[in-house]
Amino acid sequence: MGRYILKRLLQGVVVVIGVTVFVFVVTRLVGDPVKFMLPLSATEEERAARRSELGLDDPIPQQFGRFVGDIGRLDFGESTYVRGEHSLEVVLDFLPRTLQLVAFGMVIALIFSLPLGIFASRHPGSWVDRTLTTLSLVGLSMPQFFLGYILLIVFTVKLTWFEIGPGPWYTNLVLPAVCLALPAIGRLSMVVRSAMIDELNSQYAKVAKAKGLPQRRVVGVHALRNAGIPFVTLFGWEVIRALAGYTVVVETVFNWNGIGFLAVTAIKNNDFFLTQTIVIVVAVLVVIVSILIDISYKVIDPRVKLG
Amino acid sequence: MAKRFRLGAAALTIGLLAAACGSDGDGGGSTEETTGGTAAAVEGGAITIALGSEPTSLDPHLVDDGGERAINDNIYETLLTRDAEGTLQPGLATELPTQVDDTTWEFKLREGVTFHDGTPFNADSVVATVNRMVKLVADAKTDNDGFFGSLTGAEKVDDTTVRIMTAEPDGVLPARMYWLKIIPASAEESPDLSDAPNGTGPYVFDSYSKGSQLKLTANPDYWDEAPAISDVTYEFVSEAGTRLAGLKSGKYNLITNLAPQDVEQAPAAAQVQGQEHPILILDADDGITADPDVRKALNLAVDKDAIAETVFGGYAVVDKGQLLSPSILGFNESMEPYGYDPDQAKQILEDKGLAGQTIQLVGESGRWLNDRELLEAIAGFWTDAGLQVDLQILEFGEYLDVLFDRENRADVIYVSSSNDILDADRQLSTYYQAGGIGSSNSDQELSDLIDQGRSELESDAREKTYNDAVQLAYDNAYFVWLVNNEDLYGLSENMSWTPRVDAKLLVKEMSVTG
Repeated sequence: MGRYILKRLLQGVVVVIGVTVFVFVVTRLVGDPVKFMLPLSATEEERAARRSELGLDDPIPQQFGRFVGDIGRLDFGESTYVRGEHSLEVVLDFLPRTLQLVAFGMVIALIFSLPLGIFASRHPGSWVDRTLTTLSLVGLSMPQFFLGYILLIVFTVKLTWFEIGPGPWYTNLVLPAVCLALPAIGRLSMVVRSAMIDELNSQYAKVAKAKGLPQRRVVGVHALRNAGIPFVTLFGWEVIRALAGYTVVVETVFNWNGIGFLAVTAIKNNDFFLTQTIVIVVAVLVVIVSILIDISYKVIDPRVKLG
Repeated sequence: MAKRFRLGAAALTIGLLAAACGSDGDGGGSTEETTGGTAAAVEGGAITIALGSEPTSLDPHLVDDGGERAINDNIYETLLTRDAEGTLQPGLATELPTQVDDTTWEFKLREGVTFHDGTPFNADSVVATVNRMVKLVADAKTDNDGFFGSLTGAEKVDDTTVRIMTAEPDGVLPARMYWLKIIPASAEESPDLSDAPNGTGPYVFDSYSKGSQLKLTANPDYWDEAPAISDVTYEFVSEAGTRLAGLKSGKYNLITNLAPQDVEQAPAAAQVQGQEHPILILDADDGITADPDVRKALNLAVDKDAIAETVFGGYAVVDKGQLLSPSILGFNESMEPYGYDPDQAKQILEDKGLAGQTIQLVGESGRWLNDRELLEAIAGFWTDAGLQVDLQILEFGEYLDVLFDRENRADVIYVSSSNDILDADRQLSTYYQAGGIGSSNSDQELSDLIDQGRSELESDAREKTYNDAVQLAYDNAYFVWLVNNEDLYGLSENMSWTPRVDAKLLVKEMSVTG
């Protein structure tokens, strides 16, 4: 197990390096942050002076050399958008809000998708099952910004139960977390449902039932454990998608400004340094989550061989 | 059974949508200039303002950024200010400057003013401020070269008298001193002042949590009239729909950049004819637009009134054939817009043998108010006039490459031009003057007039020069002038405030009622 984790960590480092080089190349191809820094009315001379000040007029290989050297010292460069701040510090300012949002959202998804999926699998074709299927379809097909605005209008503007922007979690984080969780609940509960139906129809479940085990035990211990593998796979994927994508929309709509929101701002302003840093930090998080998923396979099913 | 459920689910969905789209039962929006009932202003009220973007720095000299200004305009002050009409008035100076010679201006300073940390304001503060800016410009560290590049230094005469020097005769200097925020003498050498804002203004920096909130409190020792609002919180909300939701839910008292289509939804709204002008730059040197008659036809073909009404919901005024707003010195009152005459436009283009010819129209989408709608409307008008319009709506970075390309000017480039310091020079030298980064003509006479306006020190003479310059550009139809947008703000019902032509959000001018 220890060796396995070490191996995965090394692979993770390779992934992060690959992503880093890729992002460096892409951001340099896209263009010039100075265009966005100075006012439209700035002259070409003023722009050229700023480019030279930032070292952006150096040849690309030279810039890359500097970039690699700096990263080695964990210096990700100064953001050109948030002026005079180190990119990593800016990202670390915004990251906690994203982590809170994703953690809260995923806990909600977990709490609701498991019982809903299990219940639906126990009573396929029942009204609960049908409602769940319909709602998960609605949740899946509704664009998240649209869902976000509906939640915002109903619960913030009309009912004024919740607020937007920064604030305590029970008034300000619930709605964005629910918005993040709803489509995930739809997808996850469907997986739980189908996996559980498969397991409950398998030979071992029938044997367990035949030898007189209570239904609760058959479902809760035997079937659920085996249905755990596809669920964990999809759940990990939901976490990764939330970290690396869905938060962009949710954070913007609810003004819960985390790194999703920051990423959009950085890209809009051609802020190479900030964009690079966000991508690298997210890549590290994704690698960690995927290692955790692998480990959880082993925990759920000791027959799984890691390596 | 199954059918009933599908119905149930459908009903639920429709219910949600109905709640979402439901109109306000509580009276709808009002759109007076200012609002507020008869109740007296609350002493020491607290408000929350939603800005469209977060400051990129809190240093008063480094960035050119609306978020920074919205906040620092309350913390720092300048030697001169502007009144509601945009006319220069004394600020930290006690009177308008006098000239010692062509390149030296003398300011008399107010006594008894202190910075928030207790340091006195005096000639040393002004000298330090000017010196710091000169150095920032020289080192290419500031975005504000364009505003302060002409300064060379300052010298103290006595504690309340200071002289500011420029490289050349600079008629813009008083306007520049309306823009340069004064810092204490001790801050001269600091490379970045963003961590500890310290000005002489009516509000004192309290706290800032990046990405979330910034708070100011009233300055108990303010030298001028004490402000009515005691505490102000800023939040940074990039989405227009979210800003509006926050205003409607009662969280925000003031939101910026209210969309024209949302005015009815806001509890209250206020507007002012600001400085934003969408405009089309025509290539006067090459291609289909090189002929002045064609450029006139392009003006005649566009229904400016319809654009103000439909694209901007009526919150725009048709430009009088110039890029300047009425609040700017040099605005030519005697000019009128090119009329809307599609038949004549079509006739001119036919006579020139250009019917069916292609014209390039380059713009972008998402940066400026309703830009895509505007570009599509223009393309429609020109198509009606018999041209084939090659409309290119680019990503902003690509668009800037076209706007800044000095070698190959596109036939027509859309831009929305603003004027921060309310002085004609920068706007005209950028878009009107040959060689300006957004200009598409090589008119030497026009260029000379703009140079002359900049170095003219006497304001009546400056006004006359700019009047002539904008008239000349009009006669040659170097642009298609469109409209001057109104700045729109959403307000809560208890908020009382009249927006300013210079778009400054001065909290000392606001109040809330019980």
